[in-house]
Amino acid sequence: MEETIKISGLSKSYAGRKVIENLCISVAAGEVYGLLGANGAGKSTTIECILGTRKADSGTVRILGLNPEKNRKQLFEQVGVQFQESNYPDKIKVRELCEETACLYRQPSDYGELLQKFGLADKKDALVSELSGGQKQKLFIVLALIPNPKVVFLDELTTGLDTKARRGVWKSLQELKEQGLTIFLSSHFMDEVEILCDRIGILKDGGFVFEGAVQEAVAISPYEKLEDAYLWFTKEEESGDE
Amino acid sequence: MNKFFTMLKTELRLSFRGMDMIIFALCMPVAVTVIWGAVYGNKPAFSGAEYSFLEQSFGALSTIAVCAGGVMGLPLLIADYRNKKILKRYKVTPTSPSFLLAVWVAIYVIYSLLSLLLVFGMLSLFFGCRFSGSLGNFLWAYLLVMLSMFSIGLMVGGIAPDLKTASVIASILYFPMLIFSGATLPYEVMPRTLQRAADFLPLTQGIKLLKAASLGFPLEAVWNSVAIMSAFLIICGGIAVRFFRWE
Repeated sequence: MEETIKISGLSKSYAGRKVIENLCISVAAGEVYGLLGANGAGKSTTIECILGTRKADSGTVRILGLNPEKNRKQLFEQVGVQFQESNYPDKIKVRELCEETACLYRQPSDYGELLQKFGLADKKDALVSELSGGQKQKLFIVLALIPNPKVVFLDELTTGLDTKARRGVWKSLQELKEQGLTIFLSSHFMDEVEILCDRIGILKDGGFVFEGAVQEAVAISPYEKLEDAYLWFTKEEESGDE
Repeated sequence: MNKFFTMLKTELRLSFRGMDMIIFALCMPVAVTVIWGAVYGNKPAFSGAEYSFLEQSFGALSTIAVCAGGVMGLPLLIADYRNKKILKRYKVTPTSPSFLLAVWVAIYVIYSLLSLLLVFGMLSLFFGCRFSGSLGNFLWAYLLVMLSMFSIGLMVGGIAPDLKTASVIASILYFPMLIFSGATLPYEVMPRTLQRAADFLPLTQGIKLLKAASLGFPLEAVWNSVAIMSAFLIICGGIAVRFFRWE
């Protein structure tokens, strides 16, 4: 299978403290990969080092065969990103933010359709700052999809969304997956991960305590559900530490 | 090009919504023009001069907006966008720093040109001023002054570590230049020692250049001002592009 994301030996430390160490991840085209782990386990750092918004201490990253630092412009023509925190200028409206984003790409998707799909069509003329937390979250997923990307990175995909909105987002992402989109996401919600992800990596103290298919994770653990398996993977190590 | 105008349109709208530049780059030059008009009327620049005090001041008044946009608006905008991590989001798009810098510079070019028209319109309609210089020379000089002042702002916005520092540096540059370069207090009425100190401010040199161009003096007389402004443009602009940081 074609490798869309290929990461090897990725390490990063802040002030001498290792945040991630020697991570290797490989994601095939059309696959959905979920990065799991507690707050502070290094999920966002991993995503940022992959994207080049943070400089890794060591390791190589290739996305669609390109180096995110050296081939930045070429790569991000085909990659959409939603960061954990939403960043936008004061007093900008939803439509304006979408326009500004769309104009940067050669063949952007129709943002009107995307807003419709994510239930934001009636918010086009609202100020972004006036949207609710969930609406903002959905807007930033829309922005990540505007490039008409081959790969999207979604950091904490549905944090802040209500149940119905989460279901809606999952449905839209599953449709995009069927069309061949490769998705790299981080999440705290195991129900979401079970529905969306083909493979997962569970981070703890900067390293993987598990990496592989969702079913495998459940099979290795003594439990039936991913949530229990996840806790088992992350706890086991903890007791080992002490 | 389409991408440039789409960005510019939105950024300009945001800037209008913010109001600060409307006040400092459009209202302020108009207000100072009215005050100088009220004070100097149609008095000659000095006894026996062929041009009036206000005619000689046109260049100075037209730089108030350049100063506001260049060393206040521009660096604060960039520092704010970096602080809000908007630049970080741009880093994961196919856009380049020079494209973004060009859009932001264009915003303040528009403010400057609008204020130029406003000041010129008021001086000629209400105070009987006539433009006796070469329009071509004046516009070239204006372009040079704009770009060199803006490059100072780009440099400050580009290298300031955070919004707080950027705003401190912007204030240190803005207020002395606004007052002592001759933009709001006529250079010609300053005592000689103050004039000598003011000569160190880049905007003072810019105003001398514009004054010469607007009154039709030979530009050879102000070649050193041209050289100083060009040096600022090249050095500060170079530093801004070289040391641009997304985060």
